[in-house]
Amino acid sequence: MNIRSLKFLDNKFKQYLFLLGIVFFVNNIDSAEGGPCKDYGDCDEFKYSLNDMASLQRGASTFLNYCYGCHSLQYSRWGRVATDLQIPEEIFFENLVFDKTIKPGDLMIGSMSKEKSAEWFGVAPPDLTLISRVRGDDWIYSYLRAYYEDSSKQYGVNNLVYPGTAMPNVLAALQGSQKLVCKDVPVIAKNGGEKRDDYGNTITKQKCGYLEVDEGSGELSKEQFDKLIYDLTNFLVYVGEPAKATRERMGWYVIFYFLIFTALSALLYREYHKDYYK
Amino acid sequence: MSEMVGRLFNWVNDRLPVANTFERHLSKHPVPSKVNFWYLFGALASVVLIIQIVSGIWLIMPYSNTEEEAFASIEYIMRDVDYGWVIRYMHTTGASMFFAVVYLHMFRGLLYGSYQKPKELVWIFGCTIYLAMMAEGFLGYVLPYGQMSYWGAQVIISLFGAIPYIGESLELWIRGDYYISGITVSRFFALHVVALPLVLIALVFLHLVALHEVGAGNPEGVDIEEHLDEDGVPLDSVPFFPYKVLNALVGIGVFMTVFAIIMFFFPEGGGYFIEMANFEEANPLVTPEHIAPVWYYSPYYAMLRAVPDKLGGLIVMGSAVAILFVVPWLDKSKVASIRYKGIYSKVALAMFGISFITLGYLGTVGVTEVRKTMSVICTIIYFAFFLLMPIYTKYEKTLEVPKRL
Repeated sequence: MNIRSLKFLDNKFKQYLFLLGIVFFVNNIDSAEGGPCKDYGDCDEFKYSLNDMASLQRGASTFLNYCYGCHSLQYSRWGRVATDLQIPEEIFFENLVFDKTIKPGDLMIGSMSKEKSAEWFGVAPPDLTLISRVRGDDWIYSYLRAYYEDSSKQYGVNNLVYPGTAMPNVLAALQGSQKLVCKDVPVIAKNGGEKRDDYGNTITKQKCGYLEVDEGSGELSKEQFDKLIYDLTNFLVYVGEPAKATRERMGWYVIFYFLIFTALSALLYREYHKDYYK
Repeated sequence: MSEMVGRLFNWVNDRLPVANTFERHLSKHPVPSKVNFWYLFGALASVVLIIQIVSGIWLIMPYSNTEEEAFASIEYIMRDVDYGWVIRYMHTTGASMFFAVVYLHMFRGLLYGSYQKPKELVWIFGCTIYLAMMAEGFLGYVLPYGQMSYWGAQVIISLFGAIPYIGESLELWIRGDYYISGITVSRFFALHVVALPLVLIALVFLHLVALHEVGAGNPEGVDIEEHLDEDGVPLDSVPFFPYKVLNALVGIGVFMTVFAIIMFFFPEGGGYFIEMANFEEANPLVTPEHIAPVWYYSPYYAMLRAVPDKLGGLIVMGSAVAILFVVPWLDKSKVASIRYKGIYSKVALAMFGISFITLGYLGTVGVTEVRKTMSVICTIIYFAFFLLMPIYTKYEKTLEVPKRL
């Protein structure tokens, strides 16, 4: 490659960066849609850990106990989940599979009829095999923790992430009663610091829309509940793509292979190159 | 033993031009001795083509082309088929990478005038390959029968409905049904796995035959045929095999590393390679919140949306691709390479590149007034680049092209 073409690239690159800057500036002042977590604001960040078997096992247990009654995992097979999560088959089938006619090769198609459930809930509870890929793990992690009491709704609850959700808060007994509350929050001055009055006291104003659990109303503490949802979300990430952990492990070997391949072909090319161009 | 092999080879060679072809197209085929990385993307495109064909063949085996089973069969591939996920991600990543390298390959053409006399046919075959690829990619995207497959197809097929008189019957003829259904999926499957790959392979063959006839170009735009040695071999050339092959191999190594990084760590490409909504089975009753094409079509989608009238949008979109075919006759410059062209060509090409990328971005996001205006501006720049080419290439001051590479 010669210098002139590099220079040309360089100029073009600068122009491009400049225009990209304009595009994103315009995009910021002119955003078309809100975030996926709606009234919740930004979704909470979720970092999966698919090699944490204990977490996945707890997640599977929570799913099968609390969710599987209504939500199927129709593309996933029982035996595969047991194997991938390193749960011995006898223990898995004895403790987590409630229908004793199920065989390891069966799909987890659920037990509730779609027609009946549509009648009961207004919509049939969706299959959740791919929910982590459709909505994203951040969304699930935020959604399951964003229920609040709202007596105007059918089940007495609403959700900040999914306003008007048709699903009742199945985990309410564990979480306790979560409400939307208003708080006095410090007013932020233009320079980014808190605004104070002449006596040095922080000026506050009331802001609403905060989620708060009545202390002691649930079986689990806030940390324990968050952990439960973490494990459950982690399990859903696994079910969304069972090969994900293998994929990320295998990826390093493939990349390593191609780096060696590149290095060897570069050396070979140099040898031939030397000989021809002298 | 070796004598036997030799005899066998001779036996075959007497009946099939093996040695002759090898010499003519590989070991004695002269290519310019000095080129830069822009000249690698053609080789990379052929690597991706092979990846797509091979992974595609393995995907056909477990895939089911019916309305009821298409979506489930993809999940079956992802879960129950041994290394099915490797094959599928290879194919989805390959699709995006195919367009990435082809876009860079085409840009190289514009950069160094690779379409100029006598390479017009090489360029035209190339443009036809691009057109076939767009069709192939669209058909393939429908096959998983997810929400985006369904609604994307809905949008694209309904475009044909905008054609006066024949529009509606044409739409019906393409779908084979009054709405997108299993019938559409199975015919798209046939076209995707048999018809278009045959067309693509034939076109690639013609592209290469034409290229070998007129010889490869170089970033200087020097005609290497003008200075030959006593054997009639261009002085500024090296034999294709092994020099260019080894050179390409290094490029392939780098490319495959990038390919592997995407395939194993970012197969969805942040929702640009596999859109999130496509993990939901097609549902004719629920429209996704935001229908966007995959990134490689998005520049044209932005153009389509920039025009308020559907037929007008279709014409603009079609012309944007069609205009590529006549580039060899739009460029009136005496020189081929951007290095020796004047400032107008440089500015025009830079503006064109920027507006194409901006259109690509605009095609993936929702519409607002500001974005719509930007789409209109970029569409105008896109067309101005081509339509004004005869003027700015003719009247600008060009530099002297050196005699040798």
